[in-house]
Amino acid sequence: MTDLPRSQHIIASGLIAAVGLTVAAISFTQEPADAFVFPRLISSVFAVLAIWTFGKAVLGRSKVGNGLSAQAMRNLLPGLMVMGIYVYWAAKALGFYTSTTIAFFVLLSLYDPAPHGRLGTWLKRAAITAGFMAVIYGLFALLLNVFTPKEILF
Amino acid sequence: MKNWIAGAAVAMAALTGSAYAEELGDYPERPLMLMVSYGAGGATDFQARIVTMTAGNEDALGMPMAIVNKPGAGGRVGWNWFATQAEPDGYTLGAYNIPHFIAQSIEGGVEYSADSFEPIANWGADPAVFVVGAESPFNSMDDVIAFAKENPGGLTFSGAGLFVGHHIAALQLEQAAGVKMAYIPNNAGGAGAMRAVIAGEVMGGVNNLSDAFRAQEAGNVKVLGVFDLDRNDFLPDVPTLKEQGYNIDNASVNFRGVMVPKGTPQPIIDHLAATVPTMFENGRVQSRMKAGGSPMHIMTRDEVLEMWAARQETLEKLLAGL
Amino acid sequence: MDFLFYMGDVFMPMNFALLLLGTVGGLILGATPGLSPTMAVALLIPFTFQLEPQQGLILLGAAYTSTVAGGAVSAILLKIPGAPANIATTLDGHTMATKGEGAKALQLSFLASAVGGLFGVFLLIFLTPVLAQWALAFGPSHLFWLAILGVTVIGTLDSSSVVKGLLSGCIGLWLATIGFDDIMGAQRFIFHPAVSGGINVIPALIGLFAIPQIITMLTKGRSRSDAEVIKVRRHPIRLAFVEVFRRKTALAIGTITGSVIGLIPGVGGQIAGLVAYDQSKKFSKEGEKFGTGHSEGVIAAESANNAMVGPSLVPLLTLSIPGSPTAAVLLGGLLIHGIFPGPDLFMNYPEVAWTFIDSMLIGQILMCVFGLYIAGFAASVARVPHGVMAAVVLGLAVFGSYSVQNSMGDVYVMATLGVAMYFLERFGFSAAPLVLGLILGPIAEANFIQGAMIANATVGLGSYFFTGWLNWLLILIVVASVSYSVWMEIAHRRYTTKEDAVAKEEALS
Repeated sequence: MTDLPRSQHIIASGLIAAVGLTVAAISFTQEPADAFVFPRLISSVFAVLAIWTFGKAVLGRSKVGNGLSAQAMRNLLPGLMVMGIYVYWAAKALGFYTSTTIAFFVLLSLYDPAPHGRLGTWLKRAAITAGFMAVIYGLFALLLNVFTPKEILF
Repeated sequence: MKNWIAGAAVAMAALTGSAYAEELGDYPERPLMLMVSYGAGGATDFQARIVTMTAGNEDALGMPMAIVNKPGAGGRVGWNWFATQAEPDGYTLGAYNIPHFIAQSIEGGVEYSADSFEPIANWGADPAVFVVGAESPFNSMDDVIAFAKENPGGLTFSGAGLFVGHHIAALQLEQAAGVKMAYIPNNAGGAGAMRAVIAGEVMGGVNNLSDAFRAQEAGNVKVLGVFDLDRNDFLPDVPTLKEQGYNIDNASVNFRGVMVPKGTPQPIIDHLAATVPTMFENGRVQSRMKAGGSPMHIMTRDEVLEMWAARQETLEKLLAGL
Repeated sequence: MDFLFYMGDVFMPMNFALLLLGTVGGLILGATPGLSPTMAVALLIPFTFQLEPQQGLILLGAAYTSTVAGGAVSAILLKIPGAPANIATTLDGHTMATKGEGAKALQLSFLASAVGGLFGVFLLIFLTPVLAQWALAFGPSHLFWLAILGVTVIGTLDSSSVVKGLLSGCIGLWLATIGFDDIMGAQRFIFHPAVSGGINVIPALIGLFAIPQIITMLTKGRSRSDAEVIKVRRHPIRLAFVEVFRRKTALAIGTITGSVIGLIPGVGGQIAGLVAYDQSKKFSKEGEKFGTGHSEGVIAAESANNAMVGPSLVPLLTLSIPGSPTAAVLLGGLLIHGIFPGPDLFMNYPEVAWTFIDSMLIGQILMCVFGLYIAGFAASVARVPHGVMAAVVLGLAVFGSYSVQNSMGDVYVMATLGVAMYFLERFGFSAAPLVLGLILGPIAEANFIQGAMIANATVGLGSYFFTGWLNWLLILIVVASVSYSVWMEIAHRRYTTKEDAVAKEEALS
């Protein structure tokens, strides 16, 4: 345990304290007051606990939590980007089934340890993607009749 | 004059049937969706599932209709979604509840009003009734009002929420009898409000006729009055509020039907308006609805438009005093 | 003994075929992320239009029992709780699966489900009249205290730090207030159109549990190391039986808590599993092992959520009031055939009522048999490379949360909450108390407001919320629960070093 988690703890709990205080500020200023009785109660407790946690972090007494390591973040970044593009943009713009196929395949290729050079690897990845999409399509489109934002096939 | 125009429109529609067919294309070519702004299992959801069960028949729409529930805040969540985010492509339909959504739009804080939607057809009308527990000392509305007069603001009675049919009925009752009572909106809808009556948490309640009929059959409640113009076939022995001397009309009757978002192509609206009422008239639908104790009341698009306009006016007056 | 008389009906070829269909279908639907038992049963209603009343109810009854148990499959293998009932199952179940004990976890969960489920249905058969009174006894003030009791559980649930547990709970309580408030209809904290309808519990659940899971897998990069090394241990069913019945305390607490809480209208089903989990943790001799893949955790959670099935139908069958959303859907299934539930149900339609109950009994057993069978090979999921696993879970999470109410907003909420939860977890916060806050918030608030309205019109706030033996009992339990947590926190501090806490966190992540 180096000093890294301590500074991280301060940032993390600081952010939460900021959220807590914002929520409290909104709860106590918004109208109608009747509808905000409960939020006021919660947000007061929320803010107090958040400040307490922040204080502990500043004093270096935050015990639990592992923090984030640089290596893990580097590993995570490409995946998180694929996820973000998929969920926030592609799913609606390209259609659910199309975007899921692409995202699934890309994610698989990024994180599959098998060597990229061989054709067999790619065939296997394509096969897994196709299999998964077949299951998803069968379950959600055929069995449950879920309407995706575009036509049912997309 | 109005009728003449309507008649002409019908004639035109008949004459130009082929032209519409062209504009319609193959509509509907995929399953349709019906948004219900109450949870699965509620009266609206239950009835919507029954009246749409024959949608896939060739003589109806020829494509099945799937129910999608968007419950929350007395229907506001679903109707907000329907007014702002639903695609006006003819495949996204919604169920409406009158007077709920009109009352909510008058109260404000929502993104819809009667102008945001195009009605297609009405399938049911469920009047509100006043119920008390089976052991209650109250045996008529006069008993209830007498108690309320002695204890201003002390008579607790439940209902499904604020600015829904039950609340309208409660407001009308307070106004007509000139008393102050304590209306307790329930967060669990009509079923929760009924539970509160049976468990004795409240002294009485406004509830749906269909649910009250069932609860009375089960021996749990007494039904004291119907908030409608005439007595109901399900409860022929229960007098209306009007008969008991309170000047209350049918403004709180819960009309349920199908609508589409504004902006849906006119040929599609016309097609739906022509087919959906016949779908409701299907014998199997009728028998299932009757078995379930759900009163049906089929109205065409023109009738519904008129009813919406009339409700808008009455409710604006009633809620202005709040 | 009427139920024995009608037992034969269940085994008529057509009826039994439907029972099998309902059970298998229910397990599949239950294991599908995003599909709660309520929706699964609602989806089956149209099929029952074509059937005889008796047959329709057999299908629905079987589906109800097995969807609740089926939720354990995705909870254990993928860490996606299908419904609030399965949250507690993920805590130990998924940890077991990552240790290669997926088969064992699934076997335990199905066996415990069957035990709890059978007990619950027997309660329904023998004690219905007594239970009906109990179901009515809970008014707004009691439900409020019950929700507060749930809140006190928050601090100790799956977190090494009470303060951070409570803080997680507060975040959940706050998230629950977003959207329209249920009674007044006022808008609160709507900062983005995706949350204008409030935060739906099911997409939130999927995000909070599944996304951190995906991210953790992604942080391992392209390494071959982790997932493949895990050996999936075979686990003979015989040993699972021994294990379930050896853990008597967990099984008993789970079953009893589940049946009692399941009875309370509107609250039961959602929190039965979590409350049972927390209680058996407090009573267990090995309490500190909870959360690290301990069998008692799975047993308590799963016996509770299936024990709730039978009692949750009591208000419906006797008083004609649906006590839970699923019961409301079942009511629809009865009504379309012109059958009105109520005290006369068992006299007027004994063949329907008793066959329905019998089908739930037999359904529990069938569900257990199929479940044990699935457990054998489903557990090899742990051997799937984490790249594939992450992609599969992401796909299911997106589709699952979208399918709840066909809303893209729910998908955004799911993903955003999930990513935020990953970072929170790295700093010692946990998802379970957050979700509990999310569930309990509306219950506490709505019942407080209703109670206050009734109180102001009648006896006054003080006497409404603080008198009556049931209020006193609940307040007493709340006080006991809080003191226990405080005492544990103090006792805990004396010997917990930073390293201990970190070691436990490592085991969790």
